[in-house]
Amino acid sequence: MSTVFQLAWRLFKHEAKRGELTIILLAIVLSVGSVLSLSLFSERLQGALTDRSAEFIAADRQLRSRELVDDAWLSKASEFNLNSAYQVSTRSMVFGPKELALADLRAVDANYPLKGSIKVALQAFGVPQATAELPKSGEVWIDSRLFQLVQVELGGNVDIGDASFKITKVLSEIPDAGFSVFNTEPIVLMSTEDLAKTNVTGPGSRVSYKYYFTGETSDLDDYYDWLRPQLNRDVHRWTSIEDDDSAIGRSIARAEQFFLLASLLAIVLAAVSIAVAAQRYSQRHYDPVAIMKTLGAGKSMVQRIYLLQICFITLLGIILGVTAGFILQQIVVMFLADIVEVSLDIWHWRPLAIAIFTGIICSVLFSLYPLLQLFSVPPLRVLRRDINTTLSSKVLQFSTSGIAVFLLMWVYSQDLMISAILFVSGIILVVLLLAVTHVLIALGRKLGSGSMGSWTLAWARIRRRAMGNSVQLISFSITIMLLLVVLVMRNDMVEQWRDQLPEGTPNYFVSNVTENQRIGLEVQFAQNNVTGGGFYPVARGRFVAINDEKIRTEVTKEDAEVANEGRQGLGREANLTWGTELQTGNKIVEGEWLDSWQEGEPYPLSIESQIAGRLGVKLGDELTFNIGSEVIKSTVTSLREVNWQTMQPNFYFVLHPKAVENFVPTYITSFSLDESRKAEITSLMAPFASVTLFDVDARINQLREIIDQVSMAVEFILILVLIAGALVLIAQVQASMDERLQELTILRTLGAKGWMIRFSVINEFLIIGFVAGLMAAIANEFSLYMLQTQVFQMEAGLHLEYWVIAPIVGALTVGFLGAIGCWRLLSLNTGELLRKMV
Amino acid sequence: MTIAPAMIETKSIIKKVITSEGELQILQPISFTVKPGQSVAIIGASGSGKSTLLGLLAGLDEVSGGHIMIDGEALHSMDEEQRARLRGEKVGFIFQSFMLVQSLTALENIMLPAEIAGLSEPKKRAQKILEQVGLDHRANHFPNQLSGGEQQRVAIARAFITNPKILFADEPTGNLDSTNSTKVENLLFDLNKESNTTLVLVTHDHKLAQRCQRQLHMDAGELTEQTKPLKVVSGE
Repeated sequence: MSTVFQLAWRLFKHEAKRGELTIILLAIVLSVGSVLSLSLFSERLQGALTDRSAEFIAADRQLRSRELVDDAWLSKASEFNLNSAYQVSTRSMVFGPKELALADLRAVDANYPLKGSIKVALQAFGVPQATAELPKSGEVWIDSRLFQLVQVELGGNVDIGDASFKITKVLSEIPDAGFSVFNTEPIVLMSTEDLAKTNVTGPGSRVSYKYYFTGETSDLDDYYDWLRPQLNRDVHRWTSIEDDDSAIGRSIARAEQFFLLASLLAIVLAAVSIAVAAQRYSQRHYDPVAIMKTLGAGKSMVQRIYLLQICFITLLGIILGVTAGFILQQIVVMFLADIVEVSLDIWHWRPLAIAIFTGIICSVLFSLYPLLQLFSVPPLRVLRRDINTTLSSKVLQFSTSGIAVFLLMWVYSQDLMISAILFVSGIILVVLLLAVTHVLIALGRKLGSGSMGSWTLAWARIRRRAMGNSVQLISFSITIMLLLVVLVMRNDMVEQWRDQLPEGTPNYFVSNVTENQRIGLEVQFAQNNVTGGGFYPVARGRFVAINDEKIRTEVTKEDAEVANEGRQGLGREANLTWGTELQTGNKIVEGEWLDSWQEGEPYPLSIESQIAGRLGVKLGDELTFNIGSEVIKSTVTSLREVNWQTMQPNFYFVLHPKAVENFVPTYITSFSLDESRKAEITSLMAPFASVTLFDVDARINQLREIIDQVSMAVEFILILVLIAGALVLIAQVQASMDERLQELTILRTLGAKGWMIRFSVINEFLIIGFVAGLMAAIANEFSLYMLQTQVFQMEAGLHLEYWVIAPIVGALTVGFLGAIGCWRLLSLNTGELLRKMV
Repeated sequence: MTIAPAMIETKSIIKKVITSEGELQILQPISFTVKPGQSVAIIGASGSGKSTLLGLLAGLDEVSGGHIMIDGEALHSMDEEQRARLRGEKVGFIFQSFMLVQSLTALENIMLPAEIAGLSEPKKRAQKILEQVGLDHRANHFPNQLSGGEQQRVAIARAFITNPKILFADEPTGNLDSTNSTKVENLLFDLNKESNTTLVLVTHDHKLAQRCQRQLHMDAGELTEQTKPLKVVSGE
């Protein structure tokens, strides 16, 4: 072994034993541990959530097609180790003994569904239960509504096309049913083997095919790479849950972004703690370096010794960090086991690689400047202790650290926007803090003079250690800001999720309600204590012209498919409603609402802003609809923003009642019925046999469950980040306590009373904590505004409460940590303090 | 008969520093010679420039002008790496504040210069010299576990392990009580005599200075040879 290695190892061994490396080691362990646990946990959680959400498309990936696809495509899928299933769907009349109705016919193969489960009930609108079975040959399972529509009993027969089937189950739910209160026919589930017998898929029929795939993500991606060149945009559409633009899809996408954000912040926290620790490490080694140089060690020898030391520390830090991170996330996952099904079996290599990479980059890049300072310590320091280092370039220090943080964030997130927002916020914060520090110094000049009390002493120290304090202030503020960002993001996000499904969200929809039935239903709801939503008149109309110019390009089917839930229905015909009251969740973004209409003016119309954009419609345009044989013309007087996430009927077009006063509409409404009153539904709706009832309880519960799971997971991530942040604060206070040792010792030696020194240190930390909290709250607003508007697509707002909370909590936390730190130091007697200084 | 070259030879060395008020010359041109094996004390009040001169002679700092020859080598024209090599090969140091590496044991501190210089069997050498200074039982103790006197004895052992040609000592007893001072003084001069090392000692302790063969007096950056006997103040 070379002398350099031996020396480095010896120094490392002793320093590790004597606890000299604790702070820097802790910083690396913290960085590696928090990044590993956060990324591992979030990766596993995302896996679990994606898996859960995959139930909504009954697979990991889905290929929708308007034509039967080549069999070779499916056999190729099995070559890629994928499981596959398929479904053929079409619309067909279903004939009961007396009545007939249009139904959504779904013929599935034996593998369907690959994800999620089919639910059946013992009676129409009964409690759904999952089943692993499928309709046998000659059998169909039909929707509760169809029992009403064709007036048939369970066990009875229905005819579809040329074949007759026995109804063996009430179909409550299939995973990928989708949801729309418009244009949705009741589903009939049958086996693909039986479909041919019906002869309903002949020429001219509208048949669509869905092919389902599950497997490893890499295999799915490989298969898609193979398949993509053969797909025709007009015929095929490849989807995954990530493409889902529904409330769930968005919730999950936001949660993923939040996890990413939390992990990024953990990286920055880790970087801050390593920067603090590396600076302290470097300063503590000024003497040994000066001694070694005096004894004949050249600069290169010193460099090699300390670079090797950093390698040893980094290696040990990574090993301990990986172990700690793994144990931590394992504990969290076990704790969460009842709430979220997160598999511990799959080991994700990416988080491990990222954690190790972070540990190395952080310790190398953030140690770089302190190490360069260390290497430049002149040997003359052995004679003149006041000489520290000949290298002093704050620009170099800040630029290397800044570039390192930015690169790390960018490489990790692969999202330039998030990285840039956080980075720019950080820079604004640093500039703000430097300005504040100067103000503080000026203030300290006034407050720090006069008779010696603990506050005076604290102010005087802040003034004297201006540069040191400004660095400390910056690191405290960044830490607090990052914690605030994660905390507020989590609160806002969870609140917005919960707002989507407030208590009393309607779980039943009723459509095809006639004027007479509307009155009857209102009475029925009132008598049975059921909270109903409003009744909206509905008429289907063909949108034919803009300003008398015939529409050539209709909104495509693909657009209609991309549009989800409430948005469905705008294909060939639009669902029109009318009224003068603006629906909840709607907001006028341009123009004036219909109630400002005056007799004699053209009839007004309100259009949803996004569809207006797609259709190229603007205020003042005259739109023409054909409703039946009638032509309706209205002028666009307002554009509305619609919250499609709310479970209520939403419309693209709202007309003025006067424009359609000659029409007899049907109505649509919704109501909420508790789980406990579910059995009442049959008797409640019995007098209204011809209306169409939709039970969306299952859908709502599914949505609520996912939102709860995601919220819970987000909370745990928040706790992890808070722990990481707390550790960083401890490291920072600890490091600064080291610098205070000399002054405390002198004051103590000169006979200063213990309480006065303690209070002066606590007061100093209180001031620093308060200012750091305030600055963090200000910078937090900027970061949040940018993140929420640019990345999370959420509504941004001010968080004034944190302008009060952050400085108070900052002062108390930093003051408390300072108190602990100085308590430890002041528990030593003067002799021990003096010895510690040597 | 050939004349042995001087161990230390300075010619008009000066030192200037930049202060907030401009350039300040803290050493006036200094010229003197020290023969091999000679012991020289540089005495003077605090701030007179003693330590600055020591730093220049030991190659810890650069001269602003003039020449310094150490054992025939031109120190003034060397870069930092070359000066480090020279210190490692030919120079030993003892400091007022001991300057031991806190994270190394007494034995390891002593081994350090031998290892840096690449000498063989550094541990054996260190153990031997540790015995000589009477601290073999403290070999595995860290500096903060040793008394001030013990720490300085470790520092002396460290200074002699490479058999340096010159030993620079900066107030070697400045941090010690009188009992320990005497012990350390005796040890220093005994080892110096034994190894025939040239000793340059900076002190304001006249008693210690008197034990050296020559006394140079430093005052406001000027160096003069002390010809009259020094006045020893009791207790100093």
